[in-house]
Amino acid sequence: MNIFKKSILITIFLFIALNLFLLIGLSNIVNYPLTVIDETGTAVTVPKEPQRLVSTAPSNTEILFALGLGEKVVGITNYCNFPEESKNIEKIGEISPLNYEKIISLNPDITLAYGGFQLKDIPRLRELGINTIVLEPLNLRDTFKSIKMIATVCGIPNKGSLLVNNLTKRVDKIKSKVSGISISSQPKIFIGGTSETIYTPGAGTLFNELITMAGGQNIAAGLSFWKKISPEFVAEAEPDIIIVPVGVMNQEEESKVKEIISKRTGWSNIPAIKNQKIFIVNEDLFYRAVPRLVDGLELLYKIFHE
Amino acid sequence: MNKTLIKNTGYVNWRKKLILILIIGSLTILGVGIICLNFGVVSINPKDIISLLLNGTQDKTKSLIIWQLRAPRIVLGALTGAALSTVGGAFQGILRNPLADPYILGVSAGAALGACIGIALQYVTGYILASYLPVFAFIGAMLSLYLVYKSSKISYSANSTGLLLAGVAITFLFSALITVLLALSRRELHSMVFWLMGDLSTANWKKISIITLPVIIGSSMLFFSSLDLNALSLGEEEALHLGINTGKLRIRIFLIGSIIIATVVSFTGLIGFVGLIIPHIARLLVGPDHRIMLPIAAFLGGVFLILCDVLARILMAPTEIPIGAITAIVGAPLFIYLLRRKNK
Repeated sequence: MNIFKKSILITIFLFIALNLFLLIGLSNIVNYPLTVIDETGTAVTVPKEPQRLVSTAPSNTEILFALGLGEKVVGITNYCNFPEESKNIEKIGEISPLNYEKIISLNPDITLAYGGFQLKDIPRLRELGINTIVLEPLNLRDTFKSIKMIATVCGIPNKGSLLVNNLTKRVDKIKSKVSGISISSQPKIFIGGTSETIYTPGAGTLFNELITMAGGQNIAAGLSFWKKISPEFVAEAEPDIIIVPVGVMNQEEESKVKEIISKRTGWSNIPAIKNQKIFIVNEDLFYRAVPRLVDGLELLYKIFHE
Repeated sequence: MNKTLIKNTGYVNWRKKLILILIIGSLTILGVGIICLNFGVVSINPKDIISLLLNGTQDKTKSLIIWQLRAPRIVLGALTGAALSTVGGAFQGILRNPLADPYILGVSAGAALGACIGIALQYVTGYILASYLPVFAFIGAMLSLYLVYKSSKISYSANSTGLLLAGVAITFLFSALITVLLALSRRELHSMVFWLMGDLSTANWKKISIITLPVIIGSSMLFFSSLDLNALSLGEEEALHLGINTGKLRIRIFLIGSIIIATVVSFTGLIGFVGLIIPHIARLLVGPDHRIMLPIAAFLGGVFLILCDVLARILMAPTEIPIGAITAIVGAPLFIYLLRRKNK
């Protein structure tokens, strides 16, 4: 009898202890060494809370700064232009091929790489003993997953969840607004550029996802990924709105861009051109898998429906 | 160098000369290599480098940079430069065409197509393929080699034009296919373009251990055909009169050269210009005797590519300039200068 009581007490004690342990684990403390499975399916072990981070992609840099980890970032690429505070961080050079020597010399605890065109560089990085985590978010959900992954690896899972929750709320707000708009009354959207050859984002791109979410009909939704299309395709689709993603531009340059697009031969009957519904936007809000995508989403909603 | 000296002794004492070239060449490559260990985006004290070379590790980061990054690049550069220049020289010999380079007989276009297909598939199948790119390139190269060989046999004459035209035709065909792939791709474009421009930055000891034997054995085989090549340089008929089966010679050199090039470019991508210009520079320096010219071209090519790669690494550091651009920018003026000096 005594033994029975004892064992019950021990079980209850263990149960409470385990719960407490789990609670602490879930709340904020990350137990190192920590093993995560990255986008390449590789199990990466992080021995201790990383103090020196190298980012080999603008998206990773932005996420790190959004999580307040900017101080730990010791190396970024030539293309990392956001936020302003990242300007003074040492540059590791191009996105691909990676400059291995530069990365090694920065002595990073963790290097956050990108899949895609960096895939060929990753085996070499790992061979050189650089602890590399590969992320490759291709849609909004993956982007949120990446944010959480980075937060966890860096020992601040709470902050990651908080950021993602905030972003999700903003996304849901747009979604609920859009759900009231019937598909037939949604504007037809064309994403165009200034050059003669037209590349436009089709299904499977971040841009297409955002257009759909913001309540627009991408005229290239039937194509997959970025495709070169003919001017005829655009003329026939008769888009209501033309969005032109560019780098930073001043007023003068912007009106020049609008003029060029308006004067394309064969496009005079396009509603967007007749009504001068051409909008110049910052491309970084739509190409990069970062928290700012939600800014892009909100901007698109505004353009489409307000 | 003194021209009369070469003329008088060229064919008589070439053995002595060859040994001298081998010794001086090896020492030069070694010296240039060690000096170039000093150049990179991270500055490392030359004293540290010497102590690293002599007694191994004290600083892990530095030893990684020297042994796993800079040294393999230098060795791969030397091997690649030597291979491209030797094969370029031999191809110019069999085709009797000064514009021939190692890529003219189609093998590189095949390698490029293979690599581009590999890169395209890599995006479909995922990560695993990334390390097997050289295999794709090599298979592509072997395919083009086979096609060129077969089509050159169709053309009835065994003269140089048949082989040359077959090579050019296959090159055009494969380049067109690459263009189609590039047009269809978007995400992969960057990787493909970079492969086509050539790159030594992925050098490691494993790659070097794979390409060393084919390069050394192949180049030696080309070297042992020097006398036949010399005879052919007198003219097609003259060579036939001297008892040389020019058709067989051509096919032999084509096969050996192509296999060397296929092995090398599978790992480095297409590094241009070296194989075209270095043999000419070697000829300007030591004359047309292949027994002397080919080894000189090999050493010159090695040194040239090591130096170009250093420039590629440090000129705009930490950004690396594609090495193919450096070889042309440095090589073209140098070549024109040498041509002018010779004609004066």
